[in-house]
Amino acid sequence: MTRDTRPPVRRIPAIRRSVLRTLPALRVRTIVKYLLMTALVGFFALPLVYMVTTAFKPFDELFLYPPRFFVRNPTLDNLQSLLAALSSVDVPFSRYVLNSLIVTTGVVVSTVLVSGLCAYGLVIHRPKGSGVILSLVIAALMFSPHVTQIPTYMVVNSLRLVDTFGALIIPKIAIAYNVFLMERFTRQLPFALVESARMDGARELRIFWRIMMPNIKPAWATLVALTFISTWNDYFTPLIFTTSQSMKTFPLALQLLAGGPAVANIGRAGAVAAATLVMTTPVIIVFILMQRKVIETMTYSGIKS
Amino acid sequence: MKMSIERKKRLYGLLFVSPFIIGTLVFFLYPLVQSLVFSVHRITSVVDLDEMEYIGLAHYLEAFTIDIEFVPTFIGVVTDTLVNTPIIVVFSLILAVMLNKKIRFRGFFRTVYFLPFLLGSGMILNQLLGMGVDAKSMDIMRGILLPDEIRQVIGPSVTLVLSTFLNRITLLLWRSGVQILLFLSGLQGISPSLYEAARCDSATEWEMFWLITIPMLSPVILLNLVYTIIDSFNDVRNVMVQYFIRNAFVLQKFDYASALSWLYFLFVFAIILAVFLVMRKHVFYASGREVTNRI
Repeated sequence: MTRDTRPPVRRIPAIRRSVLRTLPALRVRTIVKYLLMTALVGFFALPLVYMVTTAFKPFDELFLYPPRFFVRNPTLDNLQSLLAALSSVDVPFSRYVLNSLIVTTGVVVSTVLVSGLCAYGLVIHRPKGSGVILSLVIAALMFSPHVTQIPTYMVVNSLRLVDTFGALIIPKIAIAYNVFLMERFTRQLPFALVESARMDGARELRIFWRIMMPNIKPAWATLVALTFISTWNDYFTPLIFTTSQSMKTFPLALQLLAGGPAVANIGRAGAVAAATLVMTTPVIIVFILMQRKVIETMTYSGIKS
Repeated sequence: MKMSIERKKRLYGLLFVSPFIIGTLVFFLYPLVQSLVFSVHRITSVVDLDEMEYIGLAHYLEAFTIDIEFVPTFIGVVTDTLVNTPIIVVFSLILAVMLNKKIRFRGFFRTVYFLPFLLGSGMILNQLLGMGVDAKSMDIMRGILLPDEIRQVIGPSVTLVLSTFLNRITLLLWRSGVQILLFLSGLQGISPSLYEAARCDSATEWEMFWLITIPMLSPVILLNLVYTIIDSFNDVRNVMVQYFIRNAFVLQKFDYASALSWLYFLFVFAIILAVFLVMRKHVFYASGREVTNRI
């Protein structure tokens, strides 16, 4: 309050002084910040670095104790043994990749649209019972999905979806957490934007597509990244919902190839390490593409809050 | 007859919400009710799940009276979650604020901090844990951070404390990728004009953090608290969840597993409810909606 009562003439030098005073302190803080962040990089990058190096380790280095981070004699043996194992399966390798791509794309696109529309309906229209729906969403977040697997299987079975792409995509569209995320971000949308679009005679779907979605880009970019990763990595769902080999997805194929966890199958440890690397690469690419979108500043379109 | 605008609006709202509602009813609520039904029955035939007899709350009583594994596992998981959640949320908030500043290699840092999550909670992580990546990485990390010379100076007891801390922190950091991402999206949503205005009033960075960033970020803080709690309760690596899965899919005691998961659900529900009640007063929504509605 005291600042406001000061005469305007004194205000400018006061700011300048404070800037000058904080400059050296800022520089020290910057150095500390970079040091801290670089140290944390070590912690975060460990699993990935280890995974990449392991994929190129020759057999004798895989079981070295104490374990070593980097490879002494990098080799492509692991990748070759993976390819050899893959070519011994009847179904071509590309089929698994295609299945994974279809399923992942289907789930990502439909869940973003369904959750987006739901958030739009809940926040902008507030229909009767939206409070109930929202508490339902929040309650749904808390239930462990693994336990409802068998009843879900019964539903999928009675809809005659088993062993189709539908079984892998449809049950994963209406996810409570996705709606929760979209709803929270939509609430922060400046309401005046929607009102002014209505004044201009924009239709509902147009408001959804042109006003809401671009404004909550960080939210759906996050959702795309999260859904892509969890669907791509998921092997539990295809394990239960598909029966024929030609409907299996990539992780499941790799899992079958590797014959269970690496500890149980020492002979194929190299192939497993290579397979893990191959599977992770698309995930990392998608994340790098999406994080750029997340970073893009939200548009404010002249609205002052 | 012409529909009133209000009515039309309400219908549109329902129309937009309906795909989600149908999906939830078919693939979530029905299975959920079915599992509740299972939990109060004894399934007599594993092949045909329709054959069962009503036994009331016997499974629930069994969990507390006969099952010697349930209660200790349960308490362990709850303590872990309650300790870990605040640490994860605070850490990811600090990291997100640092990452949101104009710094060099920002994209690089952001990607690196999210890496552990990319490795996923599914098959890849299982494979990696099967290879002993966590233990091996930890050994290497300890070797770098606590070389033998330092260990000799500080003595074994301090070494033990330090390495327990390192173990815990690393695993927690590995689990904060999503939270960092959510905080970052939240930070992007704060209008820069707020900071500019504050700077004109010569506010310090510290003041701006507490008076602008935290209140504007409060919906995301709530979101992250809920996400972290649920994520750690429902994680596949969680011993309690593994216990359910073992009961349901290995021992084929699906009825008992349903009862256990309902007990667990009720408890998680209570915790989340408490979080919501505590946070409700502190969450601030900046959409300006109340003002607009009044006009």
